[in-house]
Amino acid sequence: MHVNVWHEVVESNMGKAGLLLIGLMVVLAVFAPVLSPYSPRENTSTPAFSRPSADHWLGTNDARQDIWTQLLYGARTSLTVGFGVALLTALISILVGGTAAIFGGLYDRFWMRVVDATMAVPDVIVIILVAAYLRPNVLLMILLLSALSWPGGARVIRAQTLTLKERMHVSAARTFGAGWSHLLVRHIIPDLGPILVAIMIQDARRAVFMEAGLSFLGISDPSVMSWGKMMQYARVFTYLEVWKWWLLPTGLALSLTLMGLSFTGYSLESALDPRLREADHHHDGGI
Amino acid sequence: MLKPLIFGLALTLLALMASGPVGGAANHEVAEYTIADATGDWGFPSPYAHYSRGPGYVRMSFIFDTLVWKDDEGYLPALAEDWEFVKDENAYSFDLRKGVTWHDGEEFTADDVVFTVGYIQDHPYQWVDSSIVDRAEADGDHSVKLYLSEPYAPFMDLVACTLPILPEHVWDGVSDPASFRDDEALIGTGPFRLLDYNKARGTYLYEAYEGYYLGAPKVGRIIFDKMSDQTAPAGLRQGSVDAASVPPEAVLQLEGSGLEVIEGAHDWNAKLMINHQKEPFSDPEFRRALAIAIDRETLVDVAQRGQAVVGSPGLVPPDSDWYNSDVEEYDYNPDVARSMIEDLGYEGEEVEILVAERGTVGWPGSRVAELVEEQLEDAGLDVTLRSLDGATLDSRVMAWEFDLALLGHGGLGADPDYLRRMALDDTLNSARYYENGDLVDLLEEQLREIDEEDRADMIFESQELYAEDLPALTLYYPNWYWAHNGEVDLYYTKGGIAIGVPIPLNKIAFL
Repeated sequence: MHVNVWHEVVESNMGKAGLLLIGLMVVLAVFAPVLSPYSPRENTSTPAFSRPSADHWLGTNDARQDIWTQLLYGARTSLTVGFGVALLTALISILVGGTAAIFGGLYDRFWMRVVDATMAVPDVIVIILVAAYLRPNVLLMILLLSALSWPGGARVIRAQTLTLKERMHVSAARTFGAGWSHLLVRHIIPDLGPILVAIMIQDARRAVFMEAGLSFLGISDPSVMSWGKMMQYARVFTYLEVWKWWLLPTGLALSLTLMGLSFTGYSLESALDPRLREADHHHDGGI
Repeated sequence: MLKPLIFGLALTLLALMASGPVGGAANHEVAEYTIADATGDWGFPSPYAHYSRGPGYVRMSFIFDTLVWKDDEGYLPALAEDWEFVKDENAYSFDLRKGVTWHDGEEFTADDVVFTVGYIQDHPYQWVDSSIVDRAEADGDHSVKLYLSEPYAPFMDLVACTLPILPEHVWDGVSDPASFRDDEALIGTGPFRLLDYNKARGTYLYEAYEGYYLGAPKVGRIIFDKMSDQTAPAGLRQGSVDAASVPPEAVLQLEGSGLEVIEGAHDWNAKLMINHQKEPFSDPEFRRALAIAIDRETLVDVAQRGQAVVGSPGLVPPDSDWYNSDVEEYDYNPDVARSMIEDLGYEGEEVEILVAERGTVGWPGSRVAELVEEQLEDAGLDVTLRSLDGATLDSRVMAWEFDLALLGHGGLGADPDYLRRMALDDTLNSARYYENGDLVDLLEEQLREIDEEDRADMIFESQELYAEDLPALTLYYPNWYWAHNGEVDLYYTKGGIAIGVPIPLNKIAFL
């Protein structure tokens, strides 16, 4: 890993755009209460389906609620789920993939079969089923999505660890009697950095998308604002003009978030994979 | 070489133009009439193959006739010209119309009616309780008597106006009527014949049957096309659709573009299901406190944007002939509700409300649930909402695995026997409530009460008892609208089509 991956991401246009979009969404989500005087569920005194105005930047919905406010609070849910799943999946991936590569043998084979099995599970159906028995909320959604999306990452981490553990410095540490946790934390994880982030971004993107999709289907905590739910509501009134400031901005916000994550992920990937790199520009950074 | 080819092509084109795009439709006032439907497929339109919902029956009713039919004013002679209840024999006698032919040219006789009644004994027809009619006897070719097994008040609506008469010469020997899909399976006496049914695309194409005994149809072809409720308004404005059910918010816009809008009766209700099998909901006083805690008017104003009528605790809608205005109303009062709940010792009780989104007009989804949640919290309960998919919610309600749940159903424009079915039947939308013996008896008895006035008294009293015990709480009745271009004068049938289908597509309107 002689390439300064982070530097390259920030340098590339794709990476800049991606980070900017993610940053924008984070700002909207964090400062939601400052950016709007309403609460997302408040039935204001403005008539339903009002056009955008100074009081209501994106007008009001069918229940006289402020759409702009809902958009802001929806960003909170999307990003919480996205980051939550990313962190948790990364953790599980390292634990499973990393230890499988270090220990090898039966332990490795067992976990890889678990990975195969989990990958074959149709996640939306499992989540619908679980939601039927447990009360869906943001935390449960993060746990469920993580439980279903760690295998891809675990596989990549395992492969990467397998090559890493044959490196000189790792072998050296092992000959000095280092335990698996020490190897993992001190020698493997630091070198996994960029790949880990790439996996996390991919998982976050998937989680944001899934959360929107599931709440669109009505599987979410009803008291939590969500873009999927907003679209579900807006969809019913597409024959009115209101879709222009209800459905469109919501879809746009979701798309921008997904694009932000995709762009960042893509530029990270091209920095990591020499085959994806632009020929001349990065000559000096070659491996 | 080229000239004769062009000449030939021109000739063919001319011939095509002369014959017109719709064969034989020239003599119809309206050549083609397109009706939009959000679901599309409602099954093969034979009596045994259509789906067991209103739109499926309506599609079948264009082809098959009943003894008696209904229009916007009341009963209308159809296959039977006249009828009479013979009290001593507990039977209805019908004088049948002469000169009626089936679509294949065979003559319709009393034997077909006798056959149909016999046929539903062996092959139960989904929309008629076949145990009601004991037997049918023909008296000559044009007179028939139906003997009932016991007195049955809603006979006219639920049997005479609902049971499609089958041609004996076709159905005799058909052992599996549901899978009988030959061309013959659609031979009826009705004003239309089916030309095409596409299950995958959800489309139906009907053609007028000129020999219809109530007069030739004025519409040459009827087309049912699949189109969502959201796109239908645009289709109506562009003229690609002639009639469609439309959401309330589209009404003003459509009236502005010169379309006719008709408002239906309030025969669908959004209902709060209460699990009266478990504490504290098993206590009628607690249920009454819930009713007082829920501001049904706000639900209408906010969640339905005023496009609904506030629910009556007696289930029967205020615009029904059977509505009892004396039922307890349980006016909204959070303070009274809170002190009632405190007195019962259920303060801070955890209550979960189940809700599902269906995306249909008037359905009580999260909007309603959120308001109910706030109102019940105000009354001192600890409320959580739980959003589920529709099928899961249904199964949990059926299994009594819930506290409160939001559901809804129609049929409130039909014969008031729905009060019994919605209180006692073991079905999803029924309250399944047997705690009040008086209510159970009353509801069972009204079914056998032939005297209209006595029956009305019983229906009125059962509404009061129902409202007093509140096994479930009706929240509101949404407004329903259909819009059409006026080519056909659509109307809502009095009491609904057949057993009470609230769709303004009465075949008589197309004559």
